[in-house]
Amino acid sequence: MSAGGTEAAPVVLRTLPGASPTKVSIERVSFYYGKFRALKDVSLQVPEKRVTALIGPSGCGKSTLLRMLNRMYDMVPGSRAEGRIVLDGEDVVTTRNLLELRQRVGMVFQRPISFPMSIRDNVAFAPRLLGWKKSDIEETIERSLRDAALWDEVKDRLNLPGASLSGGQQQRLAIARCVAVNPEVILMDEPCSALDPIATLKVEDLMGRLSQSYTIVIVTHNMQQAGRVADYTAFMLMHPEHRHGELVEFAPTVELFQRPKDKRTEDYITGRFG
Amino acid sequence: MTREAFTRELAALRESLLRMAGLVESQIDDALTALRQFDRAGADRVRMSDQSINELFRQLREEIFQVIATQQPVARDLRTLMGVQYIAIELERMGDYAVRIARRTSTLAGLPHDQLRPEFGLMGELASQQVRDILDALIEENAERAREVAAKDDEIDRLYNRLFDSLVDDVGDGAHEPEDALRLVTLINVAHNLERIGDRVVNVAEDIIFLSTGFVVELD
Repeated sequence: MSAGGTEAAPVVLRTLPGASPTKVSIERVSFYYGKFRALKDVSLQVPEKRVTALIGPSGCGKSTLLRMLNRMYDMVPGSRAEGRIVLDGEDVVTTRNLLELRQRVGMVFQRPISFPMSIRDNVAFAPRLLGWKKSDIEETIERSLRDAALWDEVKDRLNLPGASLSGGQQQRLAIARCVAVNPEVILMDEPCSALDPIATLKVEDLMGRLSQSYTIVIVTHNMQQAGRVADYTAFMLMHPEHRHGELVEFAPTVELFQRPKDKRTEDYITGRFG
Repeated sequence: MTREAFTRELAALRESLLRMAGLVESQIDDALTALRQFDRAGADRVRMSDQSINELFRQLREEIFQVIATQQPVARDLRTLMGVQYIAIELERMGDYAVRIARRTSTLAGLPHDQLRPEFGLMGELASQQVRDILDALIEENAERAREVAAKDDEIDRLYNRLFDSLVDDVGDGAHEPEDALRLVTLINVAHNLERIGDRVVNVAEDIIFLSTGFVVELD
């Protein structure tokens, strides 16, 4: 089609995400709770400064995989990981410096949790633990709350308890707390499942903005949410016989939701599963 | 299997589309029969039959809108809904061409006429066969077959160009009574509408390919 003798510019709604270097390389990862193998041979390249969603039915191992990325499983007795998870050249599975790892790879949980202290202290909590300078911490509070799209709503009441905020605000406070220590990767474990639809949309918008600076990996039960927020989506499934979780398909989200390659992915995203 | 209601809705929509396709196929055949026989009454019946096709088309669009709004389809389901809508649009337009041919037939029936040139019969048969073939491809959701059917449109185009040139030559001969001029222009119009049916078949072929593969293609 042409207009005024010149080629009309094509209308672009959403394109495949542009090439991005790998931030986290997950290489043939398996995970055991005691003798039970919960994950088998998962390999996945998480692109830098993009949103990657892990979807799949309950028990497929997506939360286990997410928790492996900052070694949250260390708290589970008898658990064991195999394979490599390489974050900028360093193997997460074998690193001994957990404090640094969790500073680099932050996490936001399903239920909005605010620490029993003021909004300000919630955000300053980790920087204080790390011994940051007071002036840096003050700067960090505003930057983090702005990053979490909460500043305008709380700037006049920073000394009120975090618990005085609504559920959606508390979740954004948790995100502010997470970004306060300048992580490189943010893990989100069903961050909107306890929020109402409006609060959910605010957190989703926030994810899009945060992905300009951070690499985000999100576990979600809500497929439409993966469609809305994620640049890439990984579909996982529990093996019907051995019951371990495995990766079925990993693709740009627009591809996965239009033309999934694996029939199991198609069945799941179209709701024909089970 | 989950989503039973949704699966039923999709099957019902597909069935409505095939019903609409069957009606359009008959409408085109009836229009060509009326044309061959300069049958004004037959042409009138073709015009009347368009109402039920338009009503089916309206219902289909409403139902598709409703299913998209309530079921949030993705992947193959979304392609099916969009594909059904696209194909329904093409079918409705094919029906419109049949009606136009019927209108021209009524005009021709009121004018002095010789036998139709053989190219009209050939074009009509080809168009009608193409419609039947593309509907088979639709029922099978067979992208390969759709491509084969679309490729045959070149033959209709060739016949149209030949017919067009020869009718224009006749107009150019001059010394026509106004009725002769009207007859020739009307025949050009009939040929044009037959050619457009072929073009719509190509569009349906593109829609079938989209439906079965998820890729938007342009067939020439």
